[in-house]
Amino acid sequence: MSRAELVGLLISVISFGTLLYLAALGELIAEKSGVLNLGVEGTMAMGGVTGFLIGVQSGSAWFALLIAALVGAVFASIHGIVSVVMGADQVVSGLALTILGLGLSAFLGKDYVSSAPGAKFNAINLGPLSDLGVVGETLFSMNGVSWLAIALGIATWFMLSRTRMGLSLRAVGESAATADAAGTPVVLTRMIAVAIGGAMAGMSGGYLTLVLAPGWNEGTTAGRGWIAVALVIFGAWKPGRVLFGALLFGGLIALEPRLQTLGLDVSPILMSMVPYLLTIAVLIVLSIRSRNRPSVAPAAIGLAFRREER
Amino acid sequence: MLGENGAGKTTLMNVLAGVYLPDEGTVSLDGVEHQFNKPADAIAAGVGMVHQEFRLIPTFSVAENVVLGSAPTLVAKRAIEDEVAALAERFGLATEPGRQIWQLSMGERQRVEILKALWRDAKVLILDEPTAVLTPNEAAELGRITSAMADDGRSIIFISHKLDEVKEFCDEATVLRGGKTVAGSLSVADLDAGAMAELMVGQATDVSQRRSRTSEIGNQVCSVTDMMVHDLHQRAVVNGVSLTVAEGEIVGIAGVAGNGQRPLADAIAGLVKLTSGTVTLAGTDLSTSQPSARNAAGLAYVPEDRIGVGLAPKMNVTENAMMRAYRKLSSGSLIDRDKARANGERLVSEFNVKVGQMDSPIAALSGGNLQRLLVGRELDNEPKVLIAAQPTRGLDVQGVAAIQRILLAQAADGLGILLISEDLEELFALSDRLLVMHEGKVVAEVDPDTATRSEVGRAMAGA
Amino acid sequence: MRLVRRETPLKGGQVRAFAAGVVIALVLGAILLVSTGHNPAEVYAKMLDASLGSPRGWSATLTRAVPLGLAGLAVAVAGSMGLWNIGAEGQLIAGAIGAAWVARFGGDWNGFVLITAMLLGAVVGGALIALGPALARARLGVNEIITTLMLNEVAIRVVRYLVNGPWKDPEGNNFPVAPELPPQSALPGFFERANIGVLIAAAVIGAVGFYSARSAWGYELKIAGSSAKAAEYVGISLKAKILTVLVLSGAIAGLAGGIELTGSSTRLVEGVGGGFGFAGIIVAALALMRPSGVAAVAVAFGAVQIGGGAIQTLGVPASIAGILQALILFGALGAAVLTNYRVVVK
Repeated sequence: MSRAELVGLLISVISFGTLLYLAALGELIAEKSGVLNLGVEGTMAMGGVTGFLIGVQSGSAWFALLIAALVGAVFASIHGIVSVVMGADQVVSGLALTILGLGLSAFLGKDYVSSAPGAKFNAINLGPLSDLGVVGETLFSMNGVSWLAIALGIATWFMLSRTRMGLSLRAVGESAATADAAGTPVVLTRMIAVAIGGAMAGMSGGYLTLVLAPGWNEGTTAGRGWIAVALVIFGAWKPGRVLFGALLFGGLIALEPRLQTLGLDVSPILMSMVPYLLTIAVLIVLSIRSRNRPSVAPAAIGLAFRREER
Repeated sequence: MLGENGAGKTTLMNVLAGVYLPDEGTVSLDGVEHQFNKPADAIAAGVGMVHQEFRLIPTFSVAENVVLGSAPTLVAKRAIEDEVAALAERFGLATEPGRQIWQLSMGERQRVEILKALWRDAKVLILDEPTAVLTPNEAAELGRITSAMADDGRSIIFISHKLDEVKEFCDEATVLRGGKTVAGSLSVADLDAGAMAELMVGQATDVSQRRSRTSEIGNQVCSVTDMMVHDLHQRAVVNGVSLTVAEGEIVGIAGVAGNGQRPLADAIAGLVKLTSGTVTLAGTDLSTSQPSARNAAGLAYVPEDRIGVGLAPKMNVTENAMMRAYRKLSSGSLIDRDKARANGERLVSEFNVKVGQMDSPIAALSGGNLQRLLVGRELDNEPKVLIAAQPTRGLDVQGVAAIQRILLAQAADGLGILLISEDLEELFALSDRLLVMHEGKVVAEVDPDTATRSEVGRAMAGA
Repeated sequence: MRLVRRETPLKGGQVRAFAAGVVIALVLGAILLVSTGHNPAEVYAKMLDASLGSPRGWSATLTRAVPLGLAGLAVAVAGSMGLWNIGAEGQLIAGAIGAAWVARFGGDWNGFVLITAMLLGAVVGGALIALGPALARARLGVNEIITTLMLNEVAIRVVRYLVNGPWKDPEGNNFPVAPELPPQSALPGFFERANIGVLIAAAVIGAVGFYSARSAWGYELKIAGSSAKAAEYVGISLKAKILTVLVLSGAIAGLAGGIELTGSSTRLVEGVGGGFGFAGIIVAALALMRPSGVAAVAVAFGAVQIGGGAIQTLGVPASIAGILQALILFGALGAAVLTNYRVVVK
């Protein structure tokens, strides 16, 4: 592999990693608060279509990304209202959100299918650092969104493990009744977590249509939202491990079109199953491990909370 | 706060702690009237309560549980652990702030609950039957902690139905009976146990009188030999128990909660596996049989958890009434709906269960009706032996009386009953023989006609 | 304002909730249509006419209701025990693969034999892909929601692999499709555009619905779904129940894939799943996990989908169908809360 090819691969790994990490981080926050959101795929599609549309209209990529995040937050809040406030089943509500998002994004974006992208991100110039060989060249080519994703990952880790809000959020996800007794507003906390999660999924969708594969097409999310759901489990609900998983899964995606040039006789389609199978394997290991100790999954995940019923 | 089970102690204290709203009346602290709409209001006013069921998050550390809800904006792990350790030291509570709750014993968890209240600077701390889950050593430790808190100027409300504990832990006692205060602010030092017991129990009612035997005790029908049961953590929760029940005999089992009564009952009924030992019913070895086979052989079981084990919460009355009999009510593989309905209606009328509609979920039934439905269903198959675990817990006075009447009538008809209860009055009133369990073992067997409560109490404490 | 649980749920509440969901969806859909310059009355009339306005429309609607109803039934069977089979989509695809695999050998078989064998292949395919999650859940307690969800994506890629690789039609002009099925594998017609798949699905839904409502087996499932501990108390083996129920669920979804392949397509293609598995989850949820309700909701969703396809001639994207389905669900979920709870203002 030539040096240029290697840099190209690494950039691709980071790009797909960014896409997956943003969405997975959002899902992690929601799940940590006890809300399983299977609407990531649909939320990404909504973020994707609005990000692209705003990019075409405004010409500003950052503005477009911001709007994609806002749309994601509002859209995911539908799931929040239905499953958290009204207490409907989280699985059904989340799936319906995905169906709604895929349908609505196709509906809204139909006139933009062949539009040229209107805005793009520039790589952040790291000055002399970019001279440091392959790594420097790769980092030199990273755009602001990847840096933002890393910053958000660190912020999420810090928020969850080092702040009062994170403590409350995790408590709500472990035992809503206990958190409620301690005076934590359960419904509000979960709504905020779901909205933040949606914002990140929306941002991920915007990143997809603005950066990774500029343009809009129905079905452009292609199941990436489900990988995000898988990543949270693969990373055992830990932001750092999820980052590792995002780079790993992103790397597998980046390798798919390159397998032939690398001389590997593996079907790229078969390889694209690996993230899902790995996630199942991790889930089985986690289940076996949790026989003698509490599970790493938030204990209250999937459970609606109403004070009268405790 | 002294009173029998069901006297209203916990309910009253839940009002003080903001869990329930009073219909009438007021709560005052230091002469200032308060209205607590939620627990947080009570906490803010300085009232903390340690419930019988701990409200702790198993995967959180001690320190995280303590500060939850009143943590600083930034939670530095080491800093809060140090602070919690300092607080614990001040009151002599042994604890390791960095450990996670699931790794702790019940006594240690209780100390975390107390720390939670102290962290919020509770001026009034309510402990709801705190010794129920403690070993004697841990109970003594708790005594030292409450003294330390009292010396610090805090008030402690200690809920109990045990006279000796109140004498040991408390300065003053208020006695509740049937939801009313029968004596307030008595000085414990001036009272003897007999006087307190009289206040607590009041005029003996019919059911709590020693029953007069109307039938002879027959042949031995059920025996448990050298039973060992281990839990998930490989602890021996039933540790070599042997007992027998004869036809028409009521064998009582006394013990502080968590001393192996539940696994003993579950193991006899076949819900948990025996590590070793045997369960024999009418000469048949059932040690390895499935629960349904044991039931078919004549073993009925009224489990401690009425809803969720004995009855299925989302199902209706008819469906719950046929949980034992549904195979008999089937022709081929289909359940005969008319027979099923008739079966339910018969049980409901025979055992005086008040139901709205036969097809409404049982969640709508009151505790007494649920228990009559459950007991009735279990007795319907003419069993030889009934295991009744906490059969009257949480029921109102009439509900208790109804269940106790049923048990006595059935015993008179020759049913052998293993009665597991935390209510000593009930055990003394109903049992022919009384066994005491402590740490998974039967540590004493007494004759309720001649034994004293304090004798049984000492055995329960492992003394 | 707060919600207080009713002592008994409102009578007929679920039907009312579903009706409310439809109304809410139509109103929100109308807003969407107006804002994009369409006349909602015209669009809805066209949808209704195309789906339920003629025998031909009915035949298309019922044909579409087959995979929706069977997938919904698959989810409902698992759901009645409190299990979530989110993998109906993947099981449906596995069923289609199973049927297509059988067809590779049956080019010269008699039509009846071939169709029967293909449907059996579909049932086995669906059951096999569900077996993994079933075993993992029964023996190790692994959450079936995630495992079945993951296997959807795996199944999608398996079929993609097959039609791009080993099963690719050499005469398919390089399109990613499998070879054409033998002509005798097509399900015989029923009326208009519908084939006897409609009858098969109705029979299966009816039989499974009847058996789970009336049999001791179904009763045991219900206990297990209500409380696992109560099931153990009665002596029901939870592990065996989980295993049989999830495998049965997969088999039913697999059958849907087989009927889809033999009835509505001429060859195995990538998009064989068609999103029916996901829609089936919504169908089952709206039917409150009751097989009897599944059939009705599936027909309603079939009509929405067929109507959604027809209005493309008016320049309205077909995606309106998916939007309406999701909105019906959200509307009904919201309304269903009110059948179990009262709103108390104080």
